[in-house]
Amino acid sequence: MAILVKLYGTLKEKTERSEGTVEIEHQGIETVSDVLCRLNIKEGETSHLFVNGRYSGFRKRVKNGDRVAVFPKNMGLLYKWYFRREEDD
Amino acid sequence: MNTLKTSYKDVPEKYQMLGGRSMTSAIVADEVPPTCHPLGSHNKVVFAPGIVTGTNAPTSGRISVGGKSPLTGGIKEANAGTKFAQMLGRLGIAAIVVEGQHQSNDYYLLRVTNTGSELMNATTWSGKGLYEAYEQLIAKFGDVGICGVGIAAEVLGANSGLCFCDPEGLPSRYAGRGGLGAVMASKGLKFIVVDDTDAPGVEIKNAEIFDQGKQKLLNALTEHDVTKPGGALNAYGTDVLINIINEAGGLPQRNFSSGSDDRSENVSGEKKAEEIKKRGGVRPHVCSPGCVIQCSEVWTRPDGTDPVGVLEYESVWALGPNCSIYDLDTIGELNRACNDLGLDTIEAGNTLAVAMEGGLAEFGDGKKALQLMEEIRKKTPVGRILASGTETCGKVLGVTRIPTVKGQALPAYDPRPIKGIGVTYATTPMGADHTAGYAIATEIMNVGGKADPFDTKKAELSRNLQIATAFLDSTGYCLFTAFAILDIPEGLEGIVETLNGVLGTSYTVDDVADIGKQILKTERTFNETAGFTAKDDRLPEFMREEKLPPHNEVFDVPDEELDEVFNF
Repeated sequence: MAILVKLYGTLKEKTERSEGTVEIEHQGIETVSDVLCRLNIKEGETSHLFVNGRYSGFRKRVKNGDRVAVFPKNMGLLYKWYFRREEDD
Repeated sequence: MNTLKTSYKDVPEKYQMLGGRSMTSAIVADEVPPTCHPLGSHNKVVFAPGIVTGTNAPTSGRISVGGKSPLTGGIKEANAGTKFAQMLGRLGIAAIVVEGQHQSNDYYLLRVTNTGSELMNATTWSGKGLYEAYEQLIAKFGDVGICGVGIAAEVLGANSGLCFCDPEGLPSRYAGRGGLGAVMASKGLKFIVVDDTDAPGVEIKNAEIFDQGKQKLLNALTEHDVTKPGGALNAYGTDVLINIINEAGGLPQRNFSSGSDDRSENVSGEKKAEEIKKRGGVRPHVCSPGCVIQCSEVWTRPDGTDPVGVLEYESVWALGPNCSIYDLDTIGELNRACNDLGLDTIEAGNTLAVAMEGGLAEFGDGKKALQLMEEIRKKTPVGRILASGTETCGKVLGVTRIPTVKGQALPAYDPRPIKGIGVTYATTPMGADHTAGYAIATEIMNVGGKADPFDTKKAELSRNLQIATAFLDSTGYCLFTAFAILDIPEGLEGIVETLNGVLGTSYTVDDVADIGKQILKTERTFNETAGFTAKDDRLPEFMREEKLPPHNEVFDVPDEELDEVFNF
């Protein structure tokens, strides 16, 4: 088990695999912010974040087995009035 | 159309401040008996450019078309971005009203120029695809704006849209929803061709305030991440939403039986942009001159030939994942067939998915799906059933899972995990329509409240979004301007100032809600007189009972909450 991270658009370049899917070890990871840090992605480079299909913020907690999806800044197009970012603190 | 005559009237005082949707809905409400047969002589088709359409205000090339819908039985407004709209605006035409019914099997073409208008016989194009027809019309009439209806409308299919040309003349910009194509064909009208040579242009009462507003809006559109050059819409088009909504678990798959599938990535905006670049298609592109967002594109075959036009998010979803088809070339050919036959892609994709559930094809069988489209071209009994839309097709085939509201098929967001949009689908006077509640933000409308997609308290949110959308649909501006003016208040001020510039009015941002409310009340009253009641403001039963993976949600917004939306 690990954390599955799905990177979209230009963020795929942050991984060696062209399909943008990467698995990271969960040790030392508590939040979405930690996931981004592990992958050398700055918060300002992102737009939409999802944890297990839930629209999330940087402080959303992440655990082993979760799926985290990260969209780059230039793919932000969600009707935000229908969504609320989930945070844990 | 009874007498094949055209005439001009000055705009009555009561309509002088109207445009786009406010104009079409007012005329339809005043002149069409709500209980009439939508394909009979009493219905009318009304075309109205937006208030600023035809000026050089950015991203303002929209036209609204109204009438009584043969799909829903209620009032309908569908709109599109096209140079046809701008040409009408520059000719000083506030609306074209098509009325009566020609009593023969002939079809006609209405030609509008700065020196007058005339009806010409167009029967030669009956039974022909619109790609061939538009090429011939441009060869015959030159640089014109075209609106036309296809073979699906000739069989009076409620799945038929009104097809406008893109800047290069491709039949790819649709006021698609609600079957208004069949209404136009029922009158014997096949095309409208507009030539704005020597047109006087849109009269602007206060140029100073107009220019000030235009600049504010332009600044907002070019600054905002969603609408600026290189932003989401510009870089990827509306199809950027495939991966986003799929991750959110709300991208309907296989006739609304799941909300995500990893194969969806094969038909995403990123994948499409990559292919277009490789093939030598066009991306970004405009639907109408003067758009600064430029979300459009030109999709082609793999060798770069035979341009289709744009593949929108809704079209890719409807003809793709909703039919378990995950191949852009197959989707491109299905979209080409829709454009050629004059079909609304959302309704067509839903119809195909229901037909697949009913056994006419296997889910995922793109080849068979294309063959089914050819049944429409040949006007066979199966083709006529498919041209009738999702609900009729489902009933004929004994399918019980039919995703429609008021007879109109649902767009590309499943309302079980995204409940707010479900409230809009259920309650808008238009039948299931994502664009009806897709506008200016809750913040601008001074509405607080949570925007949790799983929260069931959504009446106030949906109401205010519907009000704001009705306003924006009247201005001539594209709905996508909403993304910028949501975050940058000067953008909305700019829109209001350009309206004041054209009309000579002194509206403020505070007037936006009243304008929107008036439009909705007009439309709602029409529907009530046509026989609609609260029971029509409901989603299909299966959405309250079948849990949608991966979130395993049902649509559980109480009926009482739905009934609150129009309580204003």
